[in-house]
Amino acid sequence: MAEVVLNEVVKTYGDIYAVNHVSLTVADGEFVALVGPSGCGKTTTLSLIAGLNEISGGEIHIGGRLVNDLDPKDRDIAMVFQNYALYPNKTVFKNLAFPLQMRKLAKAEIERKVLSAAKVLDITHLLERKPRELSGGQQQRVALGRALVRDPRVFLMDEPLSNLDAKLRVQMRTELKRFHQDLEATVVYVTHDQLEAVTMADKMAVMHGGFLQQYDSPKNVFDNPVNMFVASFVGSPAMSLVPLEAVSHGSDVALRSPEGWELPLSPQNARKALGATSNQVVLGARHSTVKLHSAQTPGAVPGVVYTVEPTGDITFVQVFLGTSVVIVSLDPSVTVHPDQKVWIEFDQDKIHLFDGATELALAAV
Amino acid sequence: MTIDVAHQGGAVPAPSLRRRPNLLRRIVRHWNDYAYIAPAIVVMLLVIGYPIYYTVELSFFKTPPNLAMSQKVFVGFDNYRAILTSQSFRDVTYNTLIWTVVSTFFAYVLGLGAALALNREFLGRGVLRAVLLVPYVISAVAASYVWKWLYHSDFGVIGALSVQFGFTDEPINFLDNIYTALPSLIVVNIWKEFSFAMIMLLAGLQTVPDQLLRAAQVDGANTWQRFWHVTMPHLKGVSMVTILLLVVTNLNSFIIPWIMTGGGPAGATDIWITQIYQMAFGRIRFGMASAYSVILFIVMMALGYFYVKALTRGDEAKSE
Repeated sequence: MAEVVLNEVVKTYGDIYAVNHVSLTVADGEFVALVGPSGCGKTTTLSLIAGLNEISGGEIHIGGRLVNDLDPKDRDIAMVFQNYALYPNKTVFKNLAFPLQMRKLAKAEIERKVLSAAKVLDITHLLERKPRELSGGQQQRVALGRALVRDPRVFLMDEPLSNLDAKLRVQMRTELKRFHQDLEATVVYVTHDQLEAVTMADKMAVMHGGFLQQYDSPKNVFDNPVNMFVASFVGSPAMSLVPLEAVSHGSDVALRSPEGWELPLSPQNARKALGATSNQVVLGARHSTVKLHSAQTPGAVPGVVYTVEPTGDITFVQVFLGTSVVIVSLDPSVTVHPDQKVWIEFDQDKIHLFDGATELALAAV
Repeated sequence: MTIDVAHQGGAVPAPSLRRRPNLLRRIVRHWNDYAYIAPAIVVMLLVIGYPIYYTVELSFFKTPPNLAMSQKVFVGFDNYRAILTSQSFRDVTYNTLIWTVVSTFFAYVLGLGAALALNREFLGRGVLRAVLLVPYVISAVAASYVWKWLYHSDFGVIGALSVQFGFTDEPINFLDNIYTALPSLIVVNIWKEFSFAMIMLLAGLQTVPDQLLRAAQVDGANTWQRFWHVTMPHLKGVSMVTILLLVVTNLNSFIIPWIMTGGGPAGATDIWITQIYQMAFGRIRFGMASAYSVILFIVMMALGYFYVKALTRGDEAKSE
C-alpha cells in the first residue's frame, strides 16, 4: 500500500478550473472520502489520480513516485466505477482475470488470484455467470474483486454505492468498511453522500467549486466547519444558518435580527463576532443543540413553526425565524403544530459564527 | 444507467414456446383485427406476391421471343437444368461472389476505420463527416458516369496521373481489360458503400460506455486491447446487420456494372443481376431469366434465414 500526495493540483477546461490548486495527503492505509455536490471537482480529482485525465498543473505522487506523466496502468492503482463497468460480454471469471491477463501473468497464477479474490468477496458461485445475470450488489462485489485481484497500491472508488437501493447501500457500506480494515488498503473514495463519507472515512475532503474547502476527520469537519458551505453540506439535516447583524452595547455584543429581536452573546462569542470584517454575522446551529419553548423564556428568540416532520425516534421541526429557517429536533412525545408561536434557545457553547461577507468561520481572537 | 447492452442488434422476437393455434382459427376469432390490415395485405399481394408467383410460374416455361405468353411451352425443370449446367452460370456466380465478398469486406473495414476516426473529437470533424457521406447520398447513376470518365483510357484523370507520376508508361485501360475491369468496379462499389457502413458503425460506437473504456485503461489494456475487448463486442450486433445489408445489396447490384461496363469486356464484370437483365430484356428469354431469378431468390432467402438466426441466437440465450 502507498501514500498519495496531491500538491497544488490543477485541472482546467478552457478558462474553467475544474480542480483549483488542491493539496492533500492520503496516508498509507487511510480511507479518504472526497465529498461535495455535483460539479465540485471530486470525480475529476479522482480521474487525475487515476491518470484518466491529464493534469494541467501541480504534482501527484503515489508511493513517493511522481506519476504526473504515467499511464493509468503504470500507476499501480485500481478503480471501482459507479456503474461497476463490468465487461458485459465476459463471464465474472474473465472480468476478474482481465487486468491480470493485461499484465501477462501465467494462466495458473491468474486462476489462483481470481479464485482467492472470489473467495474473499464470496462470489465463487458466480464465476461462470455474465454480469447481466447478477444483482446490483453482486455486480458491485465483482467490480471490487476486479480491483482486488490486482493487489494495487491504491484503491480509487467513484461513487461505487450510488446505483444500489437504500437497504443494499447500507449493507455494502459496512462491507466496504470491513474490506478496508481487513486489507489495510489506501482508499480514495468519491461520494456526494456526506453520510457515506462520515460513516466510512478516516478523513474527508470537502470540495466545492473546484476548491478543497476542508480536509479533516469527519468529527472535526462536523464539529468545526471552516466555512458556511461545509457547515451546510455536512450533517443531516443541515446546519441552520441565520444571517444577523452584530451590535455593541458598551462591552456587551448582541446579534440583532431584521425583525428587531436581539440575542446577547457570551464573552467568547462576542470576541468572535467582533473579528468579522463587517457587522454581518451568520449564526449557525445544529438541530440537536437548539431548544424549543412554547412560552417566552429569557434568552430565547421568537419564531413560528413551519413544518413538523416525525421520523419515528426524532421529530424535526422547522421554525421560521424571520425569513430564515431553523431546524430543531424534538422528542416525538412533544407536540407542536404548524403556525404555532414558539421560542428558540441557542446553546452559546455550541453555536457557530460565520463572517457574513467572507462566509468563513469566525474564531476567537 | 445500466451497462446492459442487450438487444442492440435489432429486435427480432424469440419464437414463442407455446404452440400457436392455426392461422385460420386466429383469423376467425380476431376477424376485425385482420380486417384492419386487409387493405395493406391486398396491396402487398398484388405488388409483391403476384410478381413472385408469376416469376416462379414462368421459370417452368419456354417463352416465345415475341412475348405472346399464350404460346409459352411447359418445359418443367429444363430452364433450371440449362442454367445450372452452363459454364456462363459458373463464371457469373464466381464474379458475383468476388464482387460481393471483396466489396463487403472492404466497405466494412473502411467504414469501421472512418467511424472510429470520426468518433473522437478533432477540429473539422463535422466537415469531414459531411464529406465522407457524399458517396452515400450521391446518385449511383451519376457516380457511375463520373467514375467511367475518371477511368477513361484517353481522357481519364486516373490514367493521366499515373503517367505523370511515372507509375506507368501509358494510361491503363481499366475498363477494357478483363483483368482490371472487375477490380476497378469493385473500387467504385466500395467507395459508394463504405459511408453506409460508417454511419451504421458510428451509431454503434455511441453505445460503447465511456466508463468501460476507462475501466479497461485502468486495467492496463492498450488502445488495441480496448478496441478488441470493449468496443468490438459492443459493435457485434450492428456489424452483423451492416454486413447482412451490404451482402444483400451487393448480390443485387446492377447500376454500377451496367452503366460502367454493361457486364463486359467478355463477361468479365457480368454478375447475377446484369446477367438476368441481359437474358430477359436483351435476349427476351423470360423463362430462363425467371428461373435465374428464382435461383437467386432462394440463395438470398437462405442467406437471410441464417443471418436472422445468428442475430437472434444471442437474444434467446438472454431470455432463458
